Amino acid sequence: MSLLVLDGVHTFIGRFHILHGVSFEVPAGGIVALLGRNGAGKTTTLKTILGLAPAHAGTVTFNGRDTTRDRTFDIAALGIGFVPEHRAVFSNLSVEENLRMGERRKGDLEGKEELIFGLFPDLKRLIGLPGTSLSGGQQQMLAVARALVADNRLLLIDEPSEGLAPVLIEQMMEAIARLSKTTTVLLVEQNFLVASRLAQTYVIIEEGRSVDAGAMADLAGDAITLKRYLGV
Amino acid sequence: MTGPKQFDRIEAPAPSRYRRIADTIRANRARTSVLAALLFLFVVAMAGIEPDQWFSTIMQGLSVGALVFLVASGFQLIFGLMDVLNLAHGELFMLGAYVGWTVYTRFDTFLDILIPLLILGAPFALLPLWRRLAAPVGRLARGGRVIAWGLFITGLGGAVYSMSKFPLVIWDTENFALTPVNMTVQIDIGLLVPLTPGDYAWPMAFAFLVVVLSGIAMAVGIASVRSTGSEPTRLGRRHVAAAVGLLAAAAVLQVVKQPFNGWVFELSTTWRFLMAVIVSTVVGAALGALIEVALIRPLYDRPIYTLMITLGVGFVLIEAVQAVWGRPEFTMARPAAFSGTGEGCPGEGIGGFFSGCSTLMLFGSRLRVYNEGFIVLMGILVLVAASMLLKRTRIGMTIRAGVEDPVMVEALGINVRRVFTQVFALGSGLAALGGVLAAPSIGLSTSMGALFLLTAIVALAIGGLTSFPGAAAGALLIGLLQQVIIRLGQTGIHIPFVEEPFKPSPTLVPAAAIILMVIILLVLPSGLFGRGEG
Repeated sequence: MSLLVLDGVHTFIGRFHILHGVSFEVPAGGIVALLGRNGAGKTTTLKTILGLAPAHAGTVTFNGRDTTRDRTFDIAALGIGFVPEHRAVFSNLSVEENLRMGERRKGDLEGKEELIFGLFPDLKRLIGLPGTSLSGGQQQMLAVARALVADNRLLLIDEPSEGLAPVLIEQMMEAIARLSKTTTVLLVEQNFLVASRLAQTYVIIEEGRSVDAGAMADLAGDAITLKRYLGV
Repeated sequence: MTGPKQFDRIEAPAPSRYRRIADTIRANRARTSVLAALLFLFVVAMAGIEPDQWFSTIMQGLSVGALVFLVASGFQLIFGLMDVLNLAHGELFMLGAYVGWTVYTRFDTFLDILIPLLILGAPFALLPLWRRLAAPVGRLARGGRVIAWGLFITGLGGAVYSMSKFPLVIWDTENFALTPVNMTVQIDIGLLVPLTPGDYAWPMAFAFLVVVLSGIAMAVGIASVRSTGSEPTRLGRRHVAAAVGLLAAAAVLQVVKQPFNGWVFELSTTWRFLMAVIVSTVVGAALGALIEVALIRPLYDRPIYTLMITLGVGFVLIEAVQAVWGRPEFTMARPAAFSGTGEGCPGEGIGGFFSGCSTLMLFGSRLRVYNEGFIVLMGILVLVAASMLLKRTRIGMTIRAGVEDPVMVEALGINVRRVFTQVFALGSGLAALGGVLAAPSIGLSTSMGALFLLTAIVALAIGGLTSFPGAAAGALLIGLLQQVIIRLGQTGIHIPFVEEPFKPSPTLVPAAAIILMVIILLVLPSGLFGRGEG
C-alpha cells in the first residue's frame, strides 16, 4: 500500500485555480521527485498534502487515512515533516529552540540527536546561536533537521538546493540520501541533476496536472519527455 | 566529526568586552542618543523637584507605569501574535475592576450570580451532541443561518432576562441605601447591610428551567452556525462529565452558599481582596478566550472587521456594566493590610508596614504602601513572570515562533489556534488583573478602560509595538513623565529672566505623553525597542 495517495486533486489559492487534477502515489521508502517547470503547481501540491491549501475536489490519503478535510496540525501530527521553500527558520528562536519546535513529545530531540548531528555536524557547533545569525546553507540544514526531530514517516522537502553553493548542495544531497534510508521523502527540485541522482521515482506536474510518472532511471534517458516538460 | 576535515575554519579572535559594548552603542546610535536625552531630561526635571520628594515621585511614576504595563503587555502579546488590535482590551481592564469590587464587597452577590452562569455553561459542554442534531440546519443554504442566529439570539435574550429574574441578592441602583457607592462605605466601616432577593424573582425551579433552555438554544445556534465539518460530533465521556459537573457545581453552590458566604465575610478584607484579584483575573481570561473563539476566530482574514467587532464588544461591555452596577462612579475600599492608620503612623522604613501603617516614610518621602508598594511589586512580578514564560517555557517558545510564522508552526503539527486562544486569555487576564489592582487606588468608572488603553497604546508606540520589553519600558516612561509633570506643577519651574515660575497643569499630562511619543517616533520609527524599519 502506498504511503501517500493523491487522487484527482483540485486546489484554489484565492480565486486562482492552481491544481487541475493531480493524481500520484508515493510508495513507502525511498525518494519521489516532484518535477515540473516554475509555477507548474509543485509547491501548491505540497501545501495541499499538508492542508495549508486544502483541496476543493479530489482526495488526499496518508497512511490509509483520508486527510483531505483535516486541519494542518492534525495532518502534520500524523507524521509528516515539512521543509518549506524559504526554510522558515524562526529567527527569534535559537537553533536548539528551532529544533525543539519540531518535537511532538518532550524529549524527541534527545532521541534524535545522534541522527541529526550525524547528518549535519555543523549544527552541533551552532546550537546556542539565534536563528538570525545562520547563513543560508545553515538555515537549510536546520530546516531539514527540524523536520527530522519527530518520528515522521514522510518528509516534504521543497527546493533544498535553491540558493546554495555547490559544495553545500553536495552536503545536502548526501544528507537527504542518508535520511531516506529511514524515512520516505517527497522532494520538489528544480535542479534536475540533483533530483535524478537522489530519487528512484518521479512525478511530473504540468500546468496543475500530473502528466507523467515512472522510474527515474527511465526518465533520465527519455530526452523527449525531459525537453517537453522540464526544458532540460 | 569523522572522516577527513572538509573545511578549515579560521576563527577570528574574540573581541574584548569594551570593544563589544562600543560596537553595540555604535550599531544603536539613534537608540542610545534617545535614551541619553531622556536620562538628561529626567535629571533636569528632578533638579526642579525638592530632594525629599524624589523617591515618592519615582515610586508614583512606577505605580502608574505598572498599571499601564498590565494593560499594554496583554495588548502587545495579542497584537504581536495575531495582528489583532483588541479595542475591547481597555474594557476588560474596567470589567476586572468591577468584578473585583463585587467579589471583595459583595461576595454573596458573586456566589448568587455564579449559579445561573454555571447552569448556562452546562449545555455548551455538550456541543458535539448539538452539532450532530443541528447538522441538517447547517446544510440549509441561507435559511440555515437565519435559524441558527435566531436560536442563538433568542437564547441570549432568554439568558439575560432570566438572570434578572433569578432569585439572587444584589444591590439596588435605584435604592440609595443599597447602591454600590454606599456598600463601599459600609464595608469600610465593617457594617455591610444584608440583602434579600427582591420580589421580582421567579421561583427557583422555573428560573432553572428557563436558564437551561436558553443555554440549549444558544449552544444549538452556535453548533449550527459555526461548523467547519472537522469538529468532533461524537459525544465523549468527558463532554457528559463536564456538563454534569457544571450542574453539580451549581447544585452544591446553592446548598453551601449561605455558610460559605458567612465564612468569607468573617475573613479579613486582605484575604477577600486576594480572592477578588484571583477571580477577576480568571473571569477576564475566560471572557477573553470566549471573545477570541466566538467573535475573532471567524474573522482573522479580515483585520478591519476584527477592529470593528472589538470596538463593539467594548461598547457592549460598558453598557452592560452600567446596567448591572449603575452609572455613578464609586470607589473600592482598601484591604485591611493597606489601610492601617493611627498610633505611630506613618511608619519609619519598610518595617512600618508590618506595624500596620498604610503610609511609610522612606528616604525622606511619604509613600502609600498600596499604591507605591503593592501595585509596583505586582507590576514587577508580572513582568518577570511573563518574561520567564516567554523565554523559558514551551508555550512561550511557541508564542515567539508563532509571532514570526504561524503557518510554519502549524505545519510542525502544533495547533496555533489553540495558542491564539491561550494568549488571548492570558492578555485579557492581565488586563483584568490591572483593573482590580487599580480599583482601590483610582476607583471604578466605566471610562477607566478607554483612558488606560489609550495611555497603553501611547506607551506601546514609544516602547515599540513588536516588543514585549518595549511595553514595559514605554509604560515606565509614561508613568514617570506623568508624575514628574504633576510634581513640577506643584513646585513650578523657574525659567531664567521670568519672575513667575511656570506651573504645568495636570491637564498637560496627556499632551506631554503624545509629544514624547511623536519625538521618539521621529527618531526611532519603530519605537525604543521595536524592530523593523527603525
